[in-house]
Parts: sequence; structure tokens; C-alpha cells
Amino acid sequence: MIKFSHVSLIYPNSTTTVLEDLNLTIAEGEMVLVIGPTGSGKSSLLRLINGLVPHHTGGILAGDVSVNGLSTQMNKPGGMAHLIGIVGQNPANGFVADTVEEELAFGMEVLNLPHDVMRKRVEEVLDLLSLAPLRNRSIATLSGGEQQRVAIGAALVTHPKVLVLDEPTSALDPIAAEEVLSILHRLVHDLGLTVVIAEHKLERVIQFADRIVYINGEGVANVGTPEEILMQSPIAPPIVHLARALGLKEIGVTVREMRRMTSEFRQIPTGNKVATKPTSAQVITFEKLTVFFGDTIALNGISSKIFAGEVVAVMGRNGAGKSSLLKALAGVNLPNNGSISLLGKNPFELHGKQRRETIGFIPQEPSDLLYGQSVITECEQADRDNELIAGTTSKVLQQLVPGISMTTHPRDLSEGQRLGLALSVVLSSNPSILILDEPTRGLDYQAKSELTRMLINFSASFGKAVILATHDVELVAELASRVIFIADGDIVADGSTLDVLLSSPAFAPQVAKVMSPQPWLSVKDVVAALEGLS
Amino acid sequence: MSVIRVDNPIFAMACVGVVAVVVFTFREDVPWAKSFDWTLKLSAWILAVRTLIGVAIGVPTPGTPILTVPIVPLPDWMPGIRIGGTVTWERLSSSVSEGLLICSIIVIFGAAASLTSPHRLLRVMPIYIYEFAVAVVIATSVLPQLVSSVKRIRMAQRLRGQKMRGFSSWKKVAIPLLEEALARSLDLAASMDSRGYGVSKKRSKYRPISWRFKDSLVVISALGLVMIS
Repeated sequence: MIKFSHVSLIYPNSTTTVLEDLNLTIAEGEMVLVIGPTGSGKSSLLRLINGLVPHHTGGILAGDVSVNGLSTQMNKPGGMAHLIGIVGQNPANGFVADTVEEELAFGMEVLNLPHDVMRKRVEEVLDLLSLAPLRNRSIATLSGGEQQRVAIGAALVTHPKVLVLDEPTSALDPIAAEEVLSILHRLVHDLGLTVVIAEHKLERVIQFADRIVYINGEGVANVGTPEEILMQSPIAPPIVHLARALGLKEIGVTVREMRRMTSEFRQIPTGNKVATKPTSAQVITFEKLTVFFGDTIALNGISSKIFAGEVVAVMGRNGAGKSSLLKALAGVNLPNNGSISLLGKNPFELHGKQRRETIGFIPQEPSDLLYGQSVITECEQADRDNELIAGTTSKVLQQLVPGISMTTHPRDLSEGQRLGLALSVVLSSNPSILILDEPTRGLDYQAKSELTRMLINFSASFGKAVILATHDVELVAELASRVIFIADGDIVADGSTLDVLLSSPAFAPQVAKVMSPQPWLSVKDVVAALEGLS
Repeated sequence: MSVIRVDNPIFAMACVGVVAVVVFTFREDVPWAKSFDWTLKLSAWILAVRTLIGVAIGVPTPGTPILTVPIVPLPDWMPGIRIGGTVTWERLSSSVSEGLLICSIIVIFGAAASLTSPHRLLRVMPIYIYEFAVAVVIATSVLPQLVSSVKRIRMAQRLRGQKMRGFSSWKKVAIPLLEEALARSLDLAASMDSRGYGVSKKRSKYRPISWRFKDSLVVISALGLVMIS
């Protein structure tokens, strides 16, 4: 169906080749997963399929890419529209119409399909992706998960033979992600659709993939079955790390396979862990916090206390009120009711230096914080703002993101590097409280473990607290000491990470699912427990 | 159009008033609806600056004096230009009325932008002006998106402890803002391209926006107004 023959790609003004002499044939009805570190060219590979690279982005392409016999050299992306549906990394930026129904119809209108066909197919897709209740809603008012489903629907409605998706689950909570992926799985099996997917969160997609393309960012691409690739790849889901840590000869890619292989490890008796109660000082107190957006309640009178040294993960569905809570605590959106106290101060009365020293906030788009022309000017500005010795911030940055070029423009950094820059700018003022909104969107495993290490060190230093909102259960398992679970504006669970994550299978990390009923959340826990025995 | 032809500040103000009533009655709760408020603010600014400059700088004209400000001495090679001096009633009124005309045109454009969705505009564009249509849609969709992005970015930077007053703070907002607008527009163009926009010259309509009798009436009466004026 898709054929890459001797494909090499290089961007002008760049020293490294993105792809070099790639040969790959994807058969009809195959589901192929593209993995690789951030900035390695996964998106470029996907966009080669319908010719957006090089027709839209520039770049020098050697070799040939053809889909169903049509070469992208001869055809512009528009000419392949009937064959290929493509969903970009930020579906919100690609919407052409205002309402869900019109957006779904757009692709068919431009292909000049007859009216009755359009009506039928719109209904079909609305049912397939459970979008029927949203059909007349304005797209701008939908949640991230709903927008993602609309984007997939809009790509499917023209009945393409190939569907290309760039990180389709990065903005979704675990349950919504599961939903989207199982829909794709069904389409592959029922209709013989060919699907090419790029994704960082391997634990979510690996079980659906037929083959994996691993690109390392220096032009080399390996192609093989999931087992073959994951045996050696440094990028692997926690389940594979578990297999390696336990010294298993084979690796399994699904929880079911792994449970079969590890039954002996689950038999061993383990002592009950005694949870240590935090005895440290209160850092944040909020009481009866209520936030409205128009008629909808985002937060419904919730109260809690957060102590020094805690890393608190705020979890919940898309649109459950996580961001509202974080924004109220950071002093951005004034709550309609209730009180907040950060170290005895009201966050809405903090300004300038005092604010920087009390609270650091990383928004969902870390680039909002950045306005310098290069990485180095950002670092110098942070040093000046906080009266630090010149070079302090850049040192922190080099630690966090090794090898980052200091003269690059922040816009040209990869997602992970940009987060690193924003984080080091915020940390340079040494705030007592650090708040992060969805920090792991677009981060690969390596960047995530670096972030984890950094945040754990930060919270362990005297009198600090970290609060983060995230969908990433694997990150929470590694990082957080406490989880607050929000649903429809209410706190439904608040307790230690172990208790909260183990109590709901949907939000349990992979290792916990494999090792259940043992109370282990991450590979680290398993190794520690087994070492304690021997 | 007729605002320029009539060249009467009272007529211009009346137009703005009518437009404002229409906007406040019909606009929906959408991000771009706020662009009308922004053009109002912008034009108030322009009016103030225009009046000040019109009164202070220029050639002396006879008329009823209101007040006298000291004249700034200028070098000999700038004859006929004067900064300061006697401010006459005639000068003031002509500056204000010229300013009002400019402002009312800006406000009328702002009103149009806040009432039409750029997406809907794109859908009614005839296909043979495809390239042009894409450019127009991207241009018109940038403004409202800018308005919503400004809010988000200013909030984030306030959190970085930046002072959010004065001219230099705007520079700090402008850079992330322009970058984001550019990225969005590129994404939109790529998405339209890969969905086949502009490939087929013919295009079917899912839910046709039909030309009704009412619409013809509006166009004819508008043309008529232009002719009369």
C-alpha cells in the first residue's frame, strides 16, 4: 500500500539527515508504529506519506514515496486526499469549519461527492466515533479528547485507504486514549484500513501494532516486529523494562503475555509497606474552592492541604477541572468562591520578585513564558531577574537538557527542550511551590525520566512542594507521592499514589497490572522488593 | 464607502452607532466576537493621537482662538511648519472630524470581523479564487486568534513575575504571539491542502448557504445608498 524506496531526507541549514536510504513497504491493513526520540523526524516520516514533506515544508528528498501506486513526486498533497487521511499533532489548528458536522463534511465537499453520499457518511462517522451528541456543537468548545475524535472522524469520512496519525493520544486521558486506539484497531480489522501512527506513550499503543519503525534521529531506521525492535531499543514501555529487569529471555508486549511469564515473581511474600504520614509544614491550603465557567461548574467547593516535600499529581478525565484547580492555586483565574493560602499569602496579591520566589508555574504551552530571541538570552534574562551570577540558569539548563544549542531560537527547539528551558527559567528563582500543567505532552521516555529526577530532587530540598496535572499514569507512578483524583469538579480520591492508582484498573500503570496483587507500581519498586528478599 | 463619500462626522458617528447596535445584538459567544471591542479601543487611541497632532502641528489658519500654547522654535530650513501656537476652534473641529472618519471605517471593519466566522467565509468563497481565498481566510482568522492568545500569554508572563504595563511589556507578548499565529496558519494551510482543498474546481455543498431574496435586498439597498451619497 505504502512504499518507501531509497528515501533520504535532509532539511536545508541542517547538518544531520533525517532519513537515509529508507526502504519500507507497508501492506494493506497493517498498523505500523513509528517511534524515536523527540525531534528525530517521526513527524517528517509521517508527512512524507502524503507529500506534505517536501511540498509544504521544503527539504530535499531523494528516492520515492508512493501510496497505492501514486508517487508523491508527481502528486501534491491535495491530489492524494482521497487516498490518505492525516491527523496532525495539534488537531485544533487544522479545523476548517466551526461545527462538528460541517467539519466532517468539509473533506467530502472539496472532493465533490454527491449530497446523499455525504449525508450517509457523516451519520456513519458520527456513530463510529460516538460523536452524535456533539454534532451541532462548536468545535472551539469541545474538550481535547473530543477534538481528537472529530479530527479522526474528519479524516475517515472520505473513506481513505491510509490513515496517518501523529501522536493521537498525547492530550488524552488513559480511558479516552484507549477508546480512540480500539476504534483504530477495529477499523484495521474490519475495513482493512492501513494505519501509520507516531506515539511516545508506547504502553498505550504497543499491543495494537503489527510492526515498528524505529528512527534514531541520525538517519538510521530499523523496521521489525514489536518484539524484535523492543529487544534492543532504548525506547521501550515500562513492561519491557520490567522484562529486562527480571532477566526474562523473551519479552511480552501485552499485560496478558507478561502475566504468564512472571507468575513465579508474584508468588513471593512481601511485607506490607507502612505509609509514612507527612509531618512537614503546610505549604498550600485551599478551602471550599468553587470555579464556574458560564453555567458549568469546573470546581465544586473542594478543600485540601498540601505539605512541604510532597509531589502531588492531580489526575482526572479531560475537562474534569484539573487545569482550573491549578490556575486558581497559581493565582491566575480568580475562583468564584473559597480561599487559597500559599505559605500564608494570597496568590492574587503576589507580584514581581515575591511572586517568582513563592510560586513557579509552567503552563500547558511552555513557550508562553518565553520571549527571547535565543536560548542564551532567555537564560541571561532569568539571571538578571533573580540577581544571580551570570550563567547559573544556563548551567541548570545544560543539566536538564544536555547538548542543547544556546544560540537556537526557542521556537526551533523540540517540545522536550522547550519544556526544559521554561523549567530552568522558572527554577532559577527558586520558588517554594512548583506547579506544572500537563508537562509530559510530546516528551519521550528519556526526557520524562530526566524530568522525574529533576522534580524529585527539587521536592526533596527543604520546604518545597510540587503539584502537577497529568494524564500520564506511568509518570505518576514514578514521581508522585500523593494523588488527588478529580471528577466533575469534586475530589473523588485523595491519598498516597499506591492506594489511588491500585484502586482503579483504568488508571493503574502497566507494571502494577502485571504484578497485581503485589503493591508495586514501577520497575524500581519490583527490583527493590526482590532485592530485599534475596 | 458611503462614510467616506458623505464626509460628515455626524453621519459617520451615526453609522458607528448603528453598527454597534447590530454587533451587540447579533454577535455570538465566540472568540472572534471580541474583535469589535478591540477595534473600538484602537480607534479611540487613533482619534486622540490624530487630534493632538492635528492641533499642535501644521500651518497656522485663521479662526476663533481657544487657547495658546508656546511655539516650539524650529530650524530655518523648515519654513511654514509650526509646532504649538494658537489653537483655533476651526482647527480643532476639522482634526476631530477627520479622525472620526478614519475611526469609523476601522470600527466598521472590526464589526464585520466580529460577526462573520472566518471559517464560514471560506466555505462560501468561489473555488476559482482558491489561492486568494486561502490567503484571506488565514489573514482574517489570525486576528481573532491573536486576541485569545494575547490573554493566555500575558497571564503566563505575569506568572513569571514580569511587569505587565507599558510599551516594553508588549514586545514580550508580541514575539510568542506572532510565532504562534504563524505556526497555526501553517498548520491550517497544511490541513486544508492535505484534505484536497482547491484540487477539484467543482465543489458540492453539504448544507448549502443559499442566496435568499433577503440577501439581494440588502445588496441592492447598499448599492443604492452608495449611489445616492
